[in-house]
Amino acid sequence: MKSAPTLSSVFLEPAGNYLPGPLLELRKQKGMALVDMPLPTRKTENWKYSSRHLKLSDELAVALPSPGKEGTSLSMAGYRVVFRNGVMVPEASDFPDLTGIRIQRFCDLDDQDVAVLAERLDNTLDSQTVQMARLNSARFEDGLFIQLDKEAVLDQPLFIIHEVTASSVGSAYPRIYVDAARHSQMTLVEEYISSGSEPVMVNTVTEFVLAEGARITGVRLTLEGESVQHIGATGVRQATASRFESHCVGFGGPLRRHDLQVRLEGEGAECKLNGVVVTQGKQHYDNHTSIEHIAAHCDSEETYRNIAAGQSHAIFNGRIHIHQDAQKSNANMNNKNLLLSTGAEIDTKPELEIYADDVKCAHGATIGQLNKTSLFYLVSRGVGRREANTLLTIAFINELVEQIPVEAVREAMQLRLNDFFNQTFQEA
Amino acid sequence: MLNIKNLHASVGGEEILKGINLEIKAGEIHAIMGPNGSGKSTLSQVLAGSETFEVTEGEVTFNGENLLDLETEERAREGVFLAFQYPVEIPGVSNLQFLRTAVNSMRGHRGEPEMNAAEFMKHAREVSMQVDLDPAFLKRGVNEGFSGGEKKRNEILQALLLQPKLAILDETDSGLDIDALHVVSDGVNALRAKDRAILMVTHYQRLLNHIVPDYVHVLADGKIVKSGGRELAYELEERGYGWLNVKDKEATAS
Ligand SMILES: Nc1ncnc2c1ncn2[C@@H]1O[C@H](COP(=O)(O)OP(=O)(O)OP(=O)(O)O)[C@@H](O)[C@H]1O
Ligand SMILES: [Mg+2]
Repeated sequence: MKSAPTLSSVFLEPAGNYLPGPLLELRKQKGMALVDMPLPTRKTENWKYSSRHLKLSDELAVALPSPGKEGTSLSMAGYRVVFRNGVMVPEASDFPDLTGIRIQRFCDLDDQDVAVLAERLDNTLDSQTVQMARLNSARFEDGLFIQLDKEAVLDQPLFIIHEVTASSVGSAYPRIYVDAARHSQMTLVEEYISSGSEPVMVNTVTEFVLAEGARITGVRLTLEGESVQHIGATGVRQATASRFESHCVGFGGPLRRHDLQVRLEGEGAECKLNGVVVTQGKQHYDNHTSIEHIAAHCDSEETYRNIAAGQSHAIFNGRIHIHQDAQKSNANMNNKNLLLSTGAEIDTKPELEIYADDVKCAHGATIGQLNKTSLFYLVSRGVGRREANTLLTIAFINELVEQIPVEAVREAMQLRLNDFFNQTFQEA
Repeated sequence: MLNIKNLHASVGGEEILKGINLEIKAGEIHAIMGPNGSGKSTLSQVLAGSETFEVTEGEVTFNGENLLDLETEERAREGVFLAFQYPVEIPGVSNLQFLRTAVNSMRGHRGEPEMNAAEFMKHAREVSMQVDLDPAFLKRGVNEGFSGGEKKRNEILQALLLQPKLAILDETDSGLDIDALHVVSDGVNALRAKDRAILMVTHYQRLLNHIVPDYVHVLADGKIVKSGGRELAYELEERGYGWLNVKDKEATAS
């Protein structure tokens, strides 16, 4: 029997020009644990639809050089940090010194903070189910540490623009760690973009740790080009009465994967996870989410919508795990899907594991097509067919896009989605 | 303006329209009455271009053009408008955005410049007041959660905005209270013009007190079985359809 391919050792070659000692050490350990790691295959349950799109040639192991031409970001008002090819670009970043809020590169942390971070990094995600995120821990070159002190409130959204310059083959591993102390608040917008057309891989890990009463909103926009494989993971741990809101908007590509894992560890914690995915042509997008209800009285509300056109493929896998002690849990998961062509494919799978007896857990998934009566109504008013299709398609996700709490992002996404579908229906 | 000759249409192999002949000239108002299920909405929808029905025989010309050759949106741009018996709810598309897109498509077709958002908003507000619809409705999803009467007024609002040449009103008077009936018939009367024609489907002669038709037709079992003037409506109100010797699929709506 042919054995499964394993991660090439060239992916574990040392580098790390921007990391302080203890983090280099951590990275080395994480890397060692990956020696001979089997790569996901069709038989790997959580990668069964995506493994064939995963292409890890040795060339991709090369860390991309960090300087490069600046791509076109959404350029919005707020604080900003730019990462290019996984390395922060201070010249392009712009954020103030605020009391109670630290936004620092890993290499700018003092020894004590580095030691603490080395302890805490990599404790939010389940390494069994996010095997590819482990690569980030073994390869990150740089990272951003965001610390909110007790009751600190970031007054404007912080945009982290992750740009990858695909002008040569290689990979990038940006890393973000957010530590939100009691009752602190912030909105973080992560925008993933690219320039160039060589095959590259972006492998991201973002971690949020929320103390009691903290409120964090994370907006994640996956907007890279057609040559970029994107594998991302977001890990969240929530203490008592904290609230985490996530708004993900993803445009398809050759490989798009996002694992979002939330652990509700303190009583009364709540999370709301919204996701929108659109794919066309031969694109692909795979969202895996997991919500762990560990403490009692926690609420989770999850709404994902996929739209697939052409011969594209979108996947949603939503896991909800309600632990034995998590009485009075309230979990709501809803996934609606729209197929715009007969060649497109959408796979949706809820995974519920409920071990507590006094819980409310509702889930639903549908796959449908554009409503012909609605279409007739619109075109009977003179609206062009392509425009009518676009209006109806956007209507399917608008409810979620409208909830994005940053106006500039919301508007930019609306425009972009509009263009995307206009193009989709033009080609149809 | 509109000339229908021997029109047959079917759905799922079942023939619904069985040879309709009807000529409507510019400036005229025609009313179509008839029992439930006789094919009134089918005729309206076929004229507007619904793909649910298959035209199996006959021809329809509109201002000299073969209407059946045109796509739904082209018919609309040429001036055909259908006020739906059951207007469609489309959550997620705002009424305002929908209306502006429609109006600008028409304007584009006529070679007129597009109306910008502010201009259009002002215009749409005025017209919505005219049909007694709170302008707040413009911001809601298309017909989303509108009451029956509000939906009908929204249809008239669209007719007033789009200024069609041929307005087909499919039971736009159903489900309206007395005040709303006035509002709607005022709206329809405002559309009345020498170069426009109106085809109204109705069950009630009370609408015809407000909008006086030039002709009344009875559609039964897919055919026009009787045509006459305004007085035919009174006669139908008094005597029902039985005397016309048509089979009454269901009882006439009460
Ligand atoms: N999509 C469809 N599929 C099958 N049958 C249909 C369809 N649409 C209409 N019909 C049938 O065609 C016939 C005519 O329907 P239509 O709606 O035109 O009647 P109508 O005269 O408008 O009736 P009403 O006065 O109740 O509105 C009915 O028997 C109806 O059931
Ligand atoms: Mg009808």
